[in-house]
Amino acid sequence: MTTGSPAIRVRGLHKRYGRTHALNGLDFDIPRGQLTGFLGPNGAGKTTTFRAILGLTNPNEGEIEVLGMPVPSGLPEIVKQVGVIVEEPGLIKPLNGRTNLAVAADTLGFGHDRIDEMLDFVGLSADAHRKTGDYSKGMRQRLALAAAMLGNPDLLILDEPLDGLDPAGQHAFRARLRDLAAEGRSVVVSSHDLADIEALADYVVVIDQGRLVTEGPLETMLGGRNTRVRVAGQEEAAAAVLEAAGYEVHRDDVGLIVVSSEGAAIVEALARAGIYPDEVRPERSTLESVFLGLTGMTVR
Amino acid sequence: MSLFRAEYRKLSRRKLFPIMTLLLVVFVGLGAFFLIVFGEIAPEAAEGLPVLEKPEVYEVGAQQAATQTWYPLIFAVVLLGGELSTTVWATSLTRDSRKVRQILARFSTYSVATLIAFLVAFAFWVVLALIFAPGEGFMTGTQLVGVVWKSALIAIAWTAVGTAAVSLLRSVGPAIGAGLAIYFAESFLALWDPWENVSLTAASTALFTVDFGGGGFAGLVPGGGLETWHKLVIIAGWTLVGLALTWWGLQRRDA
Repeated sequence: MTTGSPAIRVRGLHKRYGRTHALNGLDFDIPRGQLTGFLGPNGAGKTTTFRAILGLTNPNEGEIEVLGMPVPSGLPEIVKQVGVIVEEPGLIKPLNGRTNLAVAADTLGFGHDRIDEMLDFVGLSADAHRKTGDYSKGMRQRLALAAAMLGNPDLLILDEPLDGLDPAGQHAFRARLRDLAAEGRSVVVSSHDLADIEALADYVVVIDQGRLVTEGPLETMLGGRNTRVRVAGQEEAAAAVLEAAGYEVHRDDVGLIVVSSEGAAIVEALARAGIYPDEVRPERSTLESVFLGLTGMTVR
Repeated sequence: MSLFRAEYRKLSRRKLFPIMTLLLVVFVGLGAFFLIVFGEIAPEAAEGLPVLEKPEVYEVGAQQAATQTWYPLIFAVVLLGGELSTTVWATSLTRDSRKVRQILARFSTYSVATLIAFLVAFAFWVVLALIFAPGEGFMTGTQLVGVVWKSALIAIAWTAVGTAAVSLLRSVGPAIGAGLAIYFAESFLALWDPWENVSLTAASTALFTVDFGGGGFAGLVPGGGLETWHKLVIIAGWTLVGLALTWWGLQRRDA
């Protein structure tokens, strides 16, 4: 394992199913030790990408490295170091929670020594002897997370883990994921829900139609780039002054948005022109606005 | 050992095994009804049907139970196919460095379960035969041991065919269709002399020496003319080919 490499490195990935191009030259890096949101609308290619990373789908072109090891030749070693929930969690409903973990540990080649710890971690110790068929969806997802964690993996890949959970279930699941990232593990969570990722991730990879749209730290993507300026009745003059000063300025119903985080310099430029703004504040974007801005698409 | 324990735990709580075993018992019970019970309760209507007497009736029962080869085919397809549809198990089956052990653990567990099902169906036949069949006597210890190993060989070979079908097709529905196609095609081809020499149906059926009271019936059974070593080679060959195709099917990505 190469510790300096990204947790996942994908280059030029193509996957075709007949005439459908599921992945179309996809490139991205997933950093180590962070919680990464893997975002895209339904049909963007998220699950196909995960299946390719796990060696379950054979890409037509491209390279994949996981924890510094190439796919597919490194897969026997990779699967020992990666915990996964993709599509169905693979729980056996007639078995209770503890036995499900015992079966998973036996099948995946791990000992039983972490079962109690993992049940405790996902908050299911009290329900460990109940049939998983009687669990709520949130409980099943948390048990699946415990199963994925049995091998103490360096990397967790979770496909739409919050999908279908009620708010309490989402809250509990997010808390567990943040704990894992705080321990220094690399966690990748896919979702088609922009708000899910915004609430959770440190780093974001956005794909659509099998291509990378953008990737980077969430904070950089959302905050600090823009400044909101309100100047009642003087929008046009203020915009002209700021544009003359070299700023990119957009107008909306509320006022001006200046593509810069230099609030003091903006105020100074306006004051020199005799314009005193009513409000100047950093404008934090939503992930949705970033997504729409970058793609010019409607979120599906 | 842990892999076998996991497979046992998974199988022991699933409804598939008792339901399919019940179905097998019903099928074998229907055969017993026409071949044993019917002649006793309606002798005039049963005129012309072969009369099965003790102790030969037990060997016929063993053959009837163990040649329900649709059972291991469907059983293996459904169980392994179910695992292939979930990523966690599919990853362990296809990408784990212990892949061969993963396959063998499942194959062994399914084969043992099938053997148990065959023996349960045989036991049901035995009970009906004890009550309704004319004649005296029971199987010897050697014959009983023979029933177990012959049934085991059939279970193993047809389980291998089932695991191969689902590993190659990666989908339960088409794999059941393919398995049943093999089952029926093999049953017909077994009657064709050139194919009889490699037919799994013929080798499976003819493992049991059944002659319906000396009526020359044995000569009509597919594979009846094959030597024992020949039957064993056919069964071993199909098993090895089935396992090799299972391994290769799981090795492939994107099926």
